Amino acid sequence: MFPIPPAGSEDRARLIAEHEAATDCMRGVAGYAVARTAGRGRSSDPHGGVMDDWQLARVLVRMRAMEVHVHGGKLVVICTKRDEEWRIGRLTGIRGVVPEFVGDEVFHDEQDAHDAIFRMRLDQYPERDGMPEHFNAGWKRRMDNWAVS
Amino acid sequence: MSANGARSWMSITGYSDPWSASPGEAVNFYVSSDADTYRAELVELIHGDTNEAGPGVKERRVESAIDGEHPGRRQTIHAGSYVVVPDRRPLELTSFTLQCWIWPTMTTKPPGFWKPGPQAIIARWCDGRGYGLFIDEQGHVGLRVNGETVVAPTPLRDHAWHFVAATFDAESGRAVLHHEPQVAYALDPAATAVEQTLGAPPEDAGVPLVIGAHAARWDDGLEGRSSVPAGLVMDGHYNGKIDTPTVCNRALDRLEIEIMKNGARPELDERRGPGPTAALGAALVAAWDFSEGIPTRTAVDRGPYRLDGEVVNAPARAMTGHAWRGVETNWTHAPHEYGAISFHDDDLDDARWDADFTLELPADLKSAVYAVKLTTADGDEDYIPFFVVPRLGAPTAKIAVIMPTTSYMAYANEHLATNAGAAELLVYRTPILQRENMFLSEHREYGGSNYDTHSDHTGINLSSRLRPILSVRPKYDHFLTQAPWQFNADLHLIDWLNEAGYEFDVLTDEAVSYDGLERLEGYNVVLTGSHPEHVDGNILDALHAYKERGGRLMYMGADGFYWVHSFHPAYPKGAITEMRRGESGIRPWRADPGEYFHQSTGQLGGMWRYVGRYLHAVAGTGMAAQGFDISTYYSRTPESEDPRISWAFQGIDYDERLGDFGLVGGGAAGTEIDIVDTMLGSPPHTLVVATSAGRHTDGYLLVTEDFGVNQAGLDGTEHPRVRSDIAYHETGNGGAVMAFSSISYCGSLSHNGYDNNIARLTGNVLDRFMQDGPLPEPPADAIRPRGRAEYDPELNYTRPEAVEG
Repeated sequence: MFPIPPAGSEDRARLIAEHEAATDCMRGVAGYAVARTAGRGRSSDPHGGVMDDWQLARVLVRMRAMEVHVHGGKLVVICTKRDEEWRIGRLTGIRGVVPEFVGDEVFHDEQDAHDAIFRMRLDQYPERDGMPEHFNAGWKRRMDNWAVS
Repeated sequence: MSANGARSWMSITGYSDPWSASPGEAVNFYVSSDADTYRAELVELIHGDTNEAGPGVKERRVESAIDGEHPGRRQTIHAGSYVVVPDRRPLELTSFTLQCWIWPTMTTKPPGFWKPGPQAIIARWCDGRGYGLFIDEQGHVGLRVNGETVVAPTPLRDHAWHFVAATFDAESGRAVLHHEPQVAYALDPAATAVEQTLGAPPEDAGVPLVIGAHAARWDDGLEGRSSVPAGLVMDGHYNGKIDTPTVCNRALDRLEIEIMKNGARPELDERRGPGPTAALGAALVAAWDFSEGIPTRTAVDRGPYRLDGEVVNAPARAMTGHAWRGVETNWTHAPHEYGAISFHDDDLDDARWDADFTLELPADLKSAVYAVKLTTADGDEDYIPFFVVPRLGAPTAKIAVIMPTTSYMAYANEHLATNAGAAELLVYRTPILQRENMFLSEHREYGGSNYDTHSDHTGINLSSRLRPILSVRPKYDHFLTQAPWQFNADLHLIDWLNEAGYEFDVLTDEAVSYDGLERLEGYNVVLTGSHPEHVDGNILDALHAYKERGGRLMYMGADGFYWVHSFHPAYPKGAITEMRRGESGIRPWRADPGEYFHQSTGQLGGMWRYVGRYLHAVAGTGMAAQGFDISTYYSRTPESEDPRISWAFQGIDYDERLGDFGLVGGGAAGTEIDIVDTMLGSPPHTLVVATSAGRHTDGYLLVTEDFGVNQAGLDGTEHPRVRSDIAYHETGNGGAVMAFSSISYCGSLSHNGYDNNIARLTGNVLDRFMQDGPLPEPPADAIRPRGRAEYDPELNYTRPEAVEG
């Protein structure tokens, strides 16, 4: 599986910078993409970010495909005050147990929470995963995160 | 507010019944409140998007008799399906045999799971008295007699048929438990019967016999009143299938149990003698045949006492039983192979709350979207939306908007952001959870949507509106869009119609489905909502007849007319809808083999496309792709200058970016998008007047039903079908259809104080479509034969001679 660039690497620094630049474009957009656009608050003419940086695109897909309950739980954004405040939470993977807050930071722009989660995940998930040396018996019933009936 | 439960994310919720009502009729409201009192007031909903870049929330107070303070009380939803059999003398057994097939789907539960504990298969047992077959928390089948238990030594295998039986002889105290997987693998331990001597025969529990749960306690209060039967609260809800549960009044031996598997056939005369023998037949108390009455709420007893049960909370029926051969997939053709009910601990047909107040709709109340707004002293609030439709056959305007209520039901209380960890792959960003999502993640008893799975990961094929539906609320942003979606997004359209000064009526899917064409006749133009994805066949019939009789249709969204729905005939009008996710289409879950046909009607479920009702045939365009990160804009095509449609672009320059703005994804073209395809039902004379081709991100992907081989190149920067086409075509007798083909389209209407090219285009079309009488005839040269395939190959190919030299 595609590796996550290690801490201190040039690749990681570039991905962080590109993610941040994309986030800045998304301020004021009722949506979010890791891509630069025609300008801040605009969604047209997407470029940069996942549109052009294949390493950023693949790292993000690997993060997004992670199962809910691995490596401490999947991070999500929780709106705590409509249109004003957001915090980061962690899915529990157990039906009936509400997502739990992670940390105390309160964001005042929902797009900043997206950016913060990306940075946290760079450290949360292992550099490598999904190779033969990572096999365990759980692979015999891998979840694809959608229901498989 | 805390994510850890210090205070509920919502302290007040409620629902109405019905959703659609006409002036002069009554609407009941059901409220659960943690606060001692709450305030209710009637409001007309205009706009529900809180985004500060838009016009903001707009609601209009309407004075009504229900306005004011009301006493609050907390009401309980008892989720989890079961069959309850009235407490009758033949079930007061001391010796007995219980037997059935089971296909358990959740033999154990994780710590913290919302409904922990053992599961009951069949039990007349309560509080340590009585008898029953259970599955314990380690996944072992057990026989309970009063407080004693006989437990199988090995656990059940989940998702596998087992035959289970238990006998008890009161005289000897001997109990025998059989637990037999129908498929035994080479390394499985032998499933030997267990024998044990018990101390006493079952005491009379004084409760009904229950299949799929057990009676837990009597409660004369409010909590008990919303249970079935009222006053008796159930527990131990089972997840999985049960097939042919049978009860006998003595301990049968193994051979007799085997014979009794063939079921009860009481008719004995010289022409028929299917057994069992008279001697064995005399032991029979009840044998429930779940293949009988599949569209009903009755569990039919084939035994001599007519111990029919009531099926509670709408479990899945028309489910393959242990006898399914895999030859016939339509339960109506081979019902005896569909003897299973699939029970779930989170099934829900009706919250059954006590009504808190009733609103008598004044005779002069205008047709509109309304809500009862509930507020508490500490600032919490909820809205209970409902729809006032005109009296049948009495339109009050030239324009009608059909609010897609069946689609609202399909998405009701959707949990994807918390249940499905890879929802991020779908939306291409991290989900944002709103307070409604947080509340629902804890309160699983509110039930899920047709996008969710049950606790055991089987798909939710039924959805009820007789419960609080927190996804149908103003102010609600959905994780799919990080913006309004469905109901709240449809208010973008309602708002624009109000601001532009149009008089219009509000209709609902439910009203059109039940009343047919009469609901649409009399309107010059009918508008859809932004996402009318889920429809029954009646509304398709009505729309088709309306168009062909000169009606005009404006398809204000995308991914419409996609999934087959049926309303459940055993419930009040429109209360429960059904869908099955078959072998194609975008499916967050997939129906199991042999389970594609609706239990409600016998209709083949899945996409309308696969029963020959192409979605593109309804409004000219059909679903091509979806992506949820950001939206984009349209460009006009040369066909927009055709005199058949050029009037729609009056005041819009050819090179303008159409909808490079908006409250859903930042553009008019986005989220789910439709295209013209003459081979999939678009009328051959359809004009494509604008398109978003080539402008979407890689977060947009081609629909699964449009490719048969998984392959590279399916996303928004690569595949030519990932686009939205705005399209127009004429219908018979002066009718016409304009398809705007994007769910985010209506989010652009309010931009720049409603002065923008999307509002202009929409207004031009509506002004033309709403005029009385047939639309003007198209130019004479537009009348000519057209083949569906004539657009290929000449227009799609560049032949070698064209590029030579």
